[in-house]
Amino acid sequence: MSTQNAGLAGGRERSSAIYAENLSKCYRIYRKPIHRLWDVLFQSRSYEEFWAVRNVYLDIPHGSTVGIIGENGAGKSSLLKLLTGITSPSTGRVEVQGRIASLLELGAGFHPEFTGRENIRLNCAILGMTPEETAERFQRIVDFSELGDFIDRPVKTYSSGMYVRLGFSVAATVDPDILVIDEALSVGDEHFRGKCTNRLNEIREQGKTVVFVSHDIGAVKSMCKWVVLMDQGKVLEQGTAEQVTDTYLKRAKARGNERLSMVHRGKSEYPRWGTGEVEVTHFEMLDEQRAPTHVIQTGRPYSIRMQWKAHRECANPVFGVGLYRTDGTYLNGSNHQWREQPIELQRVVPGDAGEVEIFVERMPLQHGPYYLTLFLYDHSKPAPTAIDHREHVLTFEVLDVDRAQHGLIQVPSRWKLTRRGPSGTSELESAR
Amino acid sequence: MEFVRLYHSLRRHAPLVKNFVEKDLKGRYIGSTAGFFWSLVNPLLSLATYTFVFSFVLKSRWSDFQPDSEVVLMMYLGIVTWGCHAEIVSRCTGTLVENGNLIKKIVFPSEILPAYVSVSALFNLLIGLGFVLLGTLVFGYAFPAADPTPPGWIPEPSEPAFEPLRVGLSYLTLPLLLALHVGFSAGLGYLLATLNLLVRDVGHFTSAFITIWMFGTPIFYPQSLVRERGYGWVVDLNPMAWLVDAYRGALLFGHFPSPLVLAKLALVAFVSLWLGTRLFFKARHRFADFL
Repeated sequence: MSTQNAGLAGGRERSSAIYAENLSKCYRIYRKPIHRLWDVLFQSRSYEEFWAVRNVYLDIPHGSTVGIIGENGAGKSSLLKLLTGITSPSTGRVEVQGRIASLLELGAGFHPEFTGRENIRLNCAILGMTPEETAERFQRIVDFSELGDFIDRPVKTYSSGMYVRLGFSVAATVDPDILVIDEALSVGDEHFRGKCTNRLNEIREQGKTVVFVSHDIGAVKSMCKWVVLMDQGKVLEQGTAEQVTDTYLKRAKARGNERLSMVHRGKSEYPRWGTGEVEVTHFEMLDEQRAPTHVIQTGRPYSIRMQWKAHRECANPVFGVGLYRTDGTYLNGSNHQWREQPIELQRVVPGDAGEVEIFVERMPLQHGPYYLTLFLYDHSKPAPTAIDHREHVLTFEVLDVDRAQHGLIQVPSRWKLTRRGPSGTSELESAR
Repeated sequence: MEFVRLYHSLRRHAPLVKNFVEKDLKGRYIGSTAGFFWSLVNPLLSLATYTFVFSFVLKSRWSDFQPDSEVVLMMYLGIVTWGCHAEIVSRCTGTLVENGNLIKKIVFPSEILPAYVSVSALFNLLIGLGFVLLGTLVFGYAFPAADPTPPGWIPEPSEPAFEPLRVGLSYLTLPLLLALHVGFSAGLGYLLATLNLLVRDVGHFTSAFITIWMFGTPIFYPQSLVRERGYGWVVDLNPMAWLVDAYRGALLFGHFPSPLVLAKLALVAFVSLWLGTRLFFKARHRFADFL
């Protein structure tokens, strides 16, 4: 408890934008709806407890940007709801200084029947703004959202991207003292996301407090000085972004490996076919320490290793691997014959066995889930025939910590900028 | 006291209430082609239906001593009064669940929801009362009906006797009646809204109960009829019956409501509001958990 209580700079209650002490939230799960009524009326205890948040201490000073990270179900959203006052705590207390605007879920705070315009008015009124204040900001909100004619249609006709635009526009334009965001931004398109990031930076520069929950470690790292890591409703660690995201990544890696290897332990539901002269008995991915893994970091080396065994004679077996994104997009395929320096394995006979290893210097893919497919084909025949073809032989995740580039792949590049002016010519270079 | 809490909250969130009411009325009057006209047509349609069923199918007559124009106005007034009550009670019952998206995901003063429903219903009632006033002027002053009582005939004291329509000083009691009326209905609204959030069956129960209650209220038949048949207690225990009666007296015939009736109405309105807001605020901090 004491480590958690250490809090942020100084920790004096007066200067905190948000101060939480021994904060817990217990959801009551009733067996029958009528028990809810008995509970409210007579405090009857016919329910089971679920503690979504437990004994949390937080001290967020004015003007700071704080990230909350953790796995799904770690209690992040429950914590945000407590901090914003949407739900009331079961134990402890929260103190908030200043106007707080939140963007918790898609379409949160919108009335589906109201038009975009009416929802803006509604939200401004909910945030306690006077009609004059609302009128003053109204056009700015409409402009920021870029919704065009949709602003006059009921929000129930909006796409999820439009919801986010409207939601963010309101939350970011009402000049809150504290802005709370729950990873809603990930839905918008690239252009709008960029706009949001700019606006968030402006808000931070104005000395406003920003609290946000994200799975995007890159974003958390680049925006927050202070990060809170949650697990099973408790604060596992809080500290500088570097330190906490490091812990998070280690845990995510361990968890990811655990989860993905669970998938592989079960019988594969993906097709496998082939004539079976040669069999691949083992297939794995290795990280740079040559330890089996299912999680690779962008830009880091990795290798793929398989073991094979010949059951019958085979004229020309060729090992190949295909790389796919989980939506089925074929990203890359290679085998040992299609190379500048092809390897000829020649004829194999029963009893032969061995290993194939593919070394990759740097993982070019960005964040996300991917899978590998094994192609073991006989190339001695006019059309290659499958000896051992295994779809989805291995699923893995790529973690992108730095998020240095956007898009699907990372392209290593060197940048050079030149400036010519009256004071002379200067050249600026970046190798990485 | 929860009243005080409600009062302060409503004052603080007045712009928000206004927002909701405006949207609600706009949806009703601007969104539809006939718009404003519906608030006249709707009660008239139910009036026509019930008159047909009661007068032509069931052959029941309101009274032998009151002209048809008066009977129609009395029924119409009963319908709009009841309509306001039914609208508040039934819409309030579902309002918290319907607006769950607001309560669950943002900091939202949920106590304004039954309030805005009530204000919106009150507005509709006022439009209906406007038409009542118009009808009274037309049938009471422009084209007054003759007394249908045969000369020399003295009706039984229990039977409704002829009285000319009149717009008088008794209209001054209208604000008081409206306050007691809406207070009573809104109190029930707060109560049922909370109960329905906790146990969803309440909504189904309410819609059934509202219909039964309507037929237990002398809207399409005179009070004297129920008394004759020995069901006077139904009327005596039904605050809506007192209200309808008081409205009719004050708005159609120039009678001031008796202090006893006003005291009774004040009492039920108080009890209803007290109970409703008490339960509402008792559960309010957990609304988001229940949705």
